[in-house]
Amino acid sequence: MIDLTVSFNHIKLKNPIILASGVWDLPYTEIVDFNKLGGVVYKGISLKPREGNPTPRITETPCGVINSIGLANKGVENFNKEVLPLLKKFDTAIFVNIFGESIEDFSRISEKISDVSGIEVNISCPNVKKGGVSFGRDPKTAYAITKAVCKNTSLPVIVKLTPAASNIVEIAQACLDGGASAVTACNTYQGLVIDIESKKPLFDKVVGGVSGPAIKPQALYKVYQISEGVEIPVIGSGGITNYKDVLEYLIAGAKSIQLGSVIFNNPLAPMEIIDNIIKYMNEKGYRNLKDIRECIDE
Amino acid sequence: MASFQILPVIENRVVGPYTLLRVEDKKMHSIAKCGHFVMVGLPDSMDPFLLRPISFLSVDEKSFTILIKVKGKGTEKLSKVKEGESLKILGPLGKALEPPENGILIAGGIGIAPLYYQSEWMKSGVLFYGAKREKDLVFKEEIKDRGFIVNTISEEKRGTVVDLISENLNFLKGKKTFVCGPESMIKELKGIIGDYAKDTFVYIERRMGCGLGGCKSCAVKVYFEYKLVCQDGPIFPLHEVKFD
Ligand SMILES: Cc1cc2nc3c(=O)[nH]c(=O)nc-3n(C[C@H](O)[C@H](O)[C@H](O)COP(=O)(O)O)c2cc1C
Ligand code: FES
Repeated sequence: MIDLTVSFNHIKLKNPIILASGVWDLPYTEIVDFNKLGGVVYKGISLKPREGNPTPRITETPCGVINSIGLANKGVENFNKEVLPLLKKFDTAIFVNIFGESIEDFSRISEKISDVSGIEVNISCPNVKKGGVSFGRDPKTAYAITKAVCKNTSLPVIVKLTPAASNIVEIAQACLDGGASAVTACNTYQGLVIDIESKKPLFDKVVGGVSGPAIKPQALYKVYQISEGVEIPVIGSGGITNYKDVLEYLIAGAKSIQLGSVIFNNPLAPMEIIDNIIKYMNEKGYRNLKDIRECIDE
Repeated sequence: MASFQILPVIENRVVGPYTLLRVEDKKMHSIAKCGHFVMVGLPDSMDPFLLRPISFLSVDEKSFTILIKVKGKGTEKLSKVKEGESLKILGPLGKALEPPENGILIAGGIGIAPLYYQSEWMKSGVLFYGAKREKDLVFKEEIKDRGFIVNTISEEKRGTVVDLISENLNFLKGKKTFVCGPESMIKELKGIIGDYAKDTFVYIERRMGCGLGGCKSCAVKVYFEYKLVCQDGPIFPLHEVKFD
């Protein structure tokens, strides 16, 4: 019998596959089998609703996408009333990604969240004026936000890091010191698209966040660096599209992984990936995820 | 209820400046409604990475058709899918429209596709239809055969569909009107039809990431808030839509 369960710092998952924040919402429950997933992270929510950036908000890049959504969301009250009760029907771990423009915002919003498996703190969104990447670049701020959130909740706290930090290992250490149970590495990479007709940036806010296969080797390296350097569980995110990518992340040190943009290309990818991991483990005779990391094939 | 499937293409033919693809699907007929669309992509391919939102041209018991205008690399690849090859299809998507028995349709270019599908759900009406060239005015005969009065215009001969409407504004009186075409045309039209905008509905087009309300990329400003074209649309009341 194959055992896909993972647990770290009070986070327990039936398998390591988590749906990432910002790429799905309730209608996806019609297509994706949520009962099969290890977990899901709900879209970045803020205290008050945010309308997000002007359109266009998304476009393709070679092997991926770039977005400038600007954290459009209906706020924490809406999440508690309209979203959480529906998600609770599924047999999967529910996490919620939170966003604030100040440390104060982060502590107030974390007070309002309960009855989930954990909070993912977003200090890494490239598409907002205040907060986001600017918080995630500075170890002192990362520490202060993590600490403020941990003080206001008894839930496990995961901090989602930005690859834009000049030293991501230092940021991960700051999150650990602040009390985080895990870090997610990482959010999108900052990028730019120019419209050659108008000779202007395509996005109103100029910068966008690059995701998809284009960022996989880079994000994988961040996971490796953090895993080597800091005693904190890492959740891998960036460019995963198939089970082999998942294996790479697990071997690099990730405890579990998140799937983002891939569901735009193939909404059935999460289920296919889980099935293929099981198939792979059967073929190799592996019984659990530890075997994947530790058994070297002849 | 939407589903995601890999479905075979059973016809690929050129229609005017467009490519018509017929996709075999016996189930779509019972669930697709006027206003719906599908996300379309190439199987086993990450290039293009995103699926493309494309409205139905027609749906019958055995298959449905879509019309493709080549705009970039993605639509070019889609247009080259041969009979016997397959497509990824996510759908039907969007909010269904209850079309009136009789009404006005205004189409610019490829905007004819969803309106052609809409005409299937109506008994009669008037179509105003403009395109760049005379020979681009595809499906006008078929719509005539459905009991519509058809007025066409082409830029190479006389002008745009907005010119055509300004000459025939009184047709819009007391009727529900539906518009699909480039955003520049829709904006111009809004400028000239005045109060008729209240009974006018517009098919909005946006770049989409997911088509399923997940990514929030397909926003459109309606009154003072953003709505999602893939969930709340693609059809919105013209007077409520705020263009940039
Ligand atoms: C359209 C879109 C919206 C996103 N929104 C959020 C968000 O609200 N909060 C967040 O922490 N990350 C957000 N992300 C980042 C993803 O969760 C993920 O970390 C990133 O896309 C990298 O993974 P991927 O290559 O698998 O997509 C978003 C990504 C995309 C493409
Ligand atoms: S396309 Fe993703 S929300 Fe509409």
